[in-house]
Amino acid sequence: MKRLDRRCGALISLAAVVMLGCGRGTQPSNEVAPGTAAAPSAETGATTAPVTEYARPPKPSRQYRIGIAVPHLSNPHYVGQAYGYLDEAQNLGAQVTLLEAGGYQYLDKQVSQIEDLVASKVDAIILAAVSGPGTVGAVQDAVAAGIPVINVNVMTDSDKVVTRIRSDDDVIGRMHADFMGERLNGAGSIVMLRGAPGTSWAEIRGNAFKKRLAEKFPNIKILGEQYSQSTPADGLRLMEDFLQTYPEINGVYNGADTTAIGAAQAILAAGKQGKTVITATDFQVDTEKFIREGVISASVLQQTVTMGRWGVRAAINYLEKRPVPPVLLTAQELATKENVNGLNLENVRAPAGWTPPAR
Amino acid sequence: MPAVIVILAVVFGSLNPNFWSGTNMANVSRQMSILALLSLGQTFAILSGGIDLSVGSLLALVSVVCAQQMLNFGLVEGITAGILAGGLAGLINGLVIAKARVPAFIATLGMLVAARGVALTLSGGLPIAGLPREFLVLGAGYLGPFPIPTMLAVAGFVLAHVILSRTRFGRYVYAMGSNEEAAVLSGINVARHKMMVYVVSGLFAGVAGVVLTARVISGQPTLGEVQELYSIAAVVIGGSRITGGVGGIGRTLMGVLVLGILGNGLNLVQVSSYVQNIVIGIIIVGAVYVDLARERRQ
Repeated sequence: MKRLDRRCGALISLAAVVMLGCGRGTQPSNEVAPGTAAAPSAETGATTAPVTEYARPPKPSRQYRIGIAVPHLSNPHYVGQAYGYLDEAQNLGAQVTLLEAGGYQYLDKQVSQIEDLVASKVDAIILAAVSGPGTVGAVQDAVAAGIPVINVNVMTDSDKVVTRIRSDDDVIGRMHADFMGERLNGAGSIVMLRGAPGTSWAEIRGNAFKKRLAEKFPNIKILGEQYSQSTPADGLRLMEDFLQTYPEINGVYNGADTTAIGAAQAILAAGKQGKTVITATDFQVDTEKFIREGVISASVLQQTVTMGRWGVRAAINYLEKRPVPPVLLTAQELATKENVNGLNLENVRAPAGWTPPAR
Repeated sequence: MPAVIVILAVVFGSLNPNFWSGTNMANVSRQMSILALLSLGQTFAILSGGIDLSVGSLLALVSVVCAQQMLNFGLVEGITAGILAGGLAGLINGLVIAKARVPAFIATLGMLVAARGVALTLSGGLPIAGLPREFLVLGAGYLGPFPIPTMLAVAGFVLAHVILSRTRFGRYVYAMGSNEEAAVLSGINVARHKMMVYVVSGLFAGVAGVVLTARVISGQPTLGEVQELYSIAAVVIGGSRITGGVGGIGRTLMGVLVLGILGNGLNLVQVSSYVQNIVIGIIIVGAVYVDLARERRQ
């Protein structure tokens, strides 16, 4: 026992030494580039002419099995996407297994789900990644097992995917900046609720927003920015705290409308509605309501249903040995109080009352 | 419990033949390896009459420390730093429990919250990418037909079993868990050995965190949520007594197998993940009820 104890003591002191070492390693945390930003934005630069139409292929002769993994289904954005997947799969006679990780924090779960899809030998996997860097290994394994991976909406850092289908997140970020700058007449103090850390959309949109703002509207100050798991509860909590710290805030950028809904509630509670510009992305029912009421000032609509449809189309095309473009960008549109009645929501939301099969 | 595992395997196998395929066996064992390593540490804590609620958050802390040190100093340094970060957090748990006499539930609950905070602070909340590709081998590689994470978990089981059944420390763990007062009176240095229990648990969480980091080939401050609860579930489903003193590594193995096979099998036969949670909840309570019922009869 003595010996064991001595070893334990040695271990403890070793641990202490290492922890001291760790201290040195703490400061560069923000310099460590989240790989997500690099991979997809480099690839955006390459696509000079985005493909904005992607027609439905002819119905294949056999029934393909497609496994789909999305971050979660508690956001209407992904419900719209799920509708796109399932409806298009029906059109093309494919059988679909739809899995959700339950939130952006459950990377381990999504990795297991991809592995399970590989083990059950689906013909293709469609992936909306909870984390860019975190899904590299799982995607590699799937491709090594001969299963093609179609990347939709949220990008994996793996370069092994057949195609990337998403909104042009660079454009979305710039649309936010232009609207914010014009609405604030070029001067103001704003905060950013970027979204889920390590996701391509939070990184690319947020960076494009900041870049555009700095170029076009240098008198708008960004007082703070926060990442979160991108739920309305996160938006509410972060915005309440921002309002305590900076009462002068007159603009809030939201990478997704999930945090915008929470932020809008905080703004309402503070009685600052109409005096604070809130920009959002996507168009769930609560977002529409807040836009009609003038609490949320604008939102960039993404074609979530289209993303889902194109994902299935690309999978079928690939499996039928037809060429698939490496990048497919879906369209986006700005919604404000002025144009809210004239929007075509067919590809933005699932039909009212539609719910995904419980997974 | 072994009978339950056989029944589960037979049922899933007949519903989806892929269940028995070599790739799926490798797959399910690899998925179980993280939970297995966490549950081994948890077994020590529970057998000694305590509990370690911090192991899930430690995955995140270890992942961030491992990734950052790997970028700064290299592969081996990163792995070592990760494991030792787990051990150090365990040591702090142990000191608070054994020396400051804070109940294990509270002390490790504090660590659960704080370790996540340290992980988020060190990483700025962002994932840490750019780890060397060789590191992926630890999470996705094979030794012959066996996935490396599986082999690490197996090695962990053997080591933990030997410590618990063959060393004096192991016997003290049982003694403290059955009757702490008696352990004190019989001259066991309870404080020191309690501390060691939590260091062991932290080190197992360290290894689990490094393997998980390799699986996701990045440092992730959000990893491991609710994993501490699954590790407790694995220990009690296996049949170790939640109040300590009775149980062992073999039982934990059973618990891990039940949870792992259930999760993978239900996915393969396409049972909704919502329903899966219901099933797992019932099994946790059911397994403990059956054990208690058997004990009362005897």
